Order: sequence, then structure tokens, then C-alpha cells
Amino acid sequence: MNSNLDSQSTMPTLTSYKILDYVWIVLMALTIGSALVAESAEPSLLVTIVIAFTIGIKGRLVVDRFMELRNAHPYIRFAMNFYFYMLPIVIVLVFLFPETIADLTRLKR
Amino acid sequence: MVNSSAPDNGIGTVKAVPEAAAAQECLPADNRVPGNGAVWVGIFAEMTEFALMFLVYFIAKVHYPEYFDEGPLKLNTTAGVLNTLALLTSSFFVAKAMSSVRKGNIQLAIRWLWGTVASAVAYLLIKTWEYYWNIQQGIEVDTNLFFTVYYYMTFNHFLHVFWGGGAILWAIWRLKSGFYTAEKHEGMEAIACYWHMIDLVWIIIFPLLYVLR
Repeated sequence: MNSNLDSQSTMPTLTSYKILDYVWIVLMALTIGSALVAESAEPSLLVTIVIAFTIGIKGRLVVDRFMELRNAHPYIRFAMNFYFYMLPIVIVLVFLFPETIADLTRLKR
Repeated sequence: MVNSSAPDNGIGTVKAVPEAAAAQECLPADNRVPGNGAVWVGIFAEMTEFALMFLVYFIAKVHYPEYFDEGPLKLNTTAGVLNTLALLTSSFFVAKAMSSVRKGNIQLAIRWLWGTVASAVAYLLIKTWEYYWNIQQGIEVDTNLFFTVYYYMTFNHFLHVFWGGGAILWAIWRLKSGFYTAEKHEGMEAIACYWHMIDLVWIIIFPLLYVLR
């Protein structure tokens, strides 16, 4: 193994290594943004969509960049990403149609 | 230079990159199963378990909307945010450790993983303090259905962080013992994927319990 790879000084030149820094900053910003929404905004469709979208973005960033599934086996990548497509959709549906979903899930009619 | 001619079995190997870039980086192989197949059985089982909890959350929310409107306002949002920042940072450290291992920089990888352990401990301490704070506010498991779901979901996740942290300590020991190298590190990659799964679950739990009303 080449000794220059053992040197920490070579690390900052790595593209994907540096990209992780930016991904982390975006994730921090999205989390703090969600917290500000939690503290200030009243419930609304727009707020719900923004929160659901934020979950999708954060999930995709972790799956693609931290978990490194961007070029992994397509079944694994699809399954993980599917989770973060479906959940935001369910969040919005529950906000839009709570009575309908309550009726569908009621045991006694 | 990292041995880029290692046989590519699609599991935990590195793929060759152009000569000019080879000195800088070895990327994970295309279409690989990260870590090993067994860990993905575990990850999908865990994700399914949490999906059922999310299903319970949604059903409870539509049947008892008043509890789920008021519940998030009574929780300690600061603790939830700090937990989220700690877990996202821990995942970032794990990703850095994986990248360092692929470069053959084992000592740097160990330092990143100690950062992960520190983040996990911070999470566990914050969550413990949050439970203590809740009890002082009169928020307990049987206060109402929102808090029952809150305690069940967050304590289950708490346990995952605890034993996931143990797995990270195991990875540190294996790194120190020379079991993982730039060419062979599928065990560490499996642990890394499991840790990221724990982070992903919290990415969902945080807005469901602390933000959405």
C-alpha cells in the first residue's frame, strides 16, 4: 500500500469525502428549520407538505450519501427509497382525509 | 496504492477508478450488496417493525386528533432537536469512517467512530434527561394515547441506539485488531448500514412526534 494513502493530508482532496461535509450541513439546516416550524407555525396543509417533503429529502440524503446506496444493488436502493416516498405521502393523506381514514380503520361500525 | 484489482464479488469490495484518480479515492463497487445479505434482512425487518409503529401512530392520530394536536406542544422540542442533531452527526461520522477505511487510513477511521460513540452517548443522555423532564411535567405512558405511542416508539428507538453503539464499539475493536483493511471491510460496512438505519428511523420519528400536529 502506498504510504501517501496513510497520510491525512491527502484526505481533503477527496470529492465524495468532502461532499459528506455539505450533506451534513444541509441535514443540520433542515432539522433546525423543522424545529422552527414546530415552535412557530400553526398546523396547515402547506406546513404539513413542507415537513413531509423535508422527511423525504433528509431520508434520501442519508440513503444515497451516508449509506452509499446510490450505486448499490437496485432492489436495496429501491426498497430504502420507497420508504421515504411512501411515508411523506401518508403524512399528507392523513392530514387531508382524517375522517375517511378513521372510518376505514374503525372496528365497530 | 489501494489494490484496485481485488476480485469484485459485489460485497464489501472496492472498484477500480481511473489511474489519475486512483491515488485519491476508491469507490464502492456498482450493484453491490453493502455489508452482507444478512444485515439487510435485519435492516428490512427493523424497518418493517417501525413501519407498523408508524401505522399505529397514524391510526391513533385520526381517531384521537385532540391528543395528537396537543401532544407535540407538551414535549420538549429542544431535546428532540438535540437528539436529531446528535444522530445525524453520528451518521456523518460513520460515513467519514467508511471513506477513511477505503483510503486505508485506519487510525482516522477509528477516530471518526469514536465520534459516533460520543454522539450516541449524547443521544442516550439527552433522551434520559427528556424522560426525567417529562415525568416532572406529569407526562407518563398512560397520560393519553399520544404519549403511549411516544414512549413506545422513542424507547424502542432508544434501545436500538444503545445496542447499535455497542456494534460501533465492536467495529472500533476490529479496526484496532487489523481485521478491516482498505480492501476487506464488509463487516464494518454492515455495521455502518445498521447504524444509518437507526438514524433514518429517527428522521421520521422526530417530525411525527415533535413537529406535526
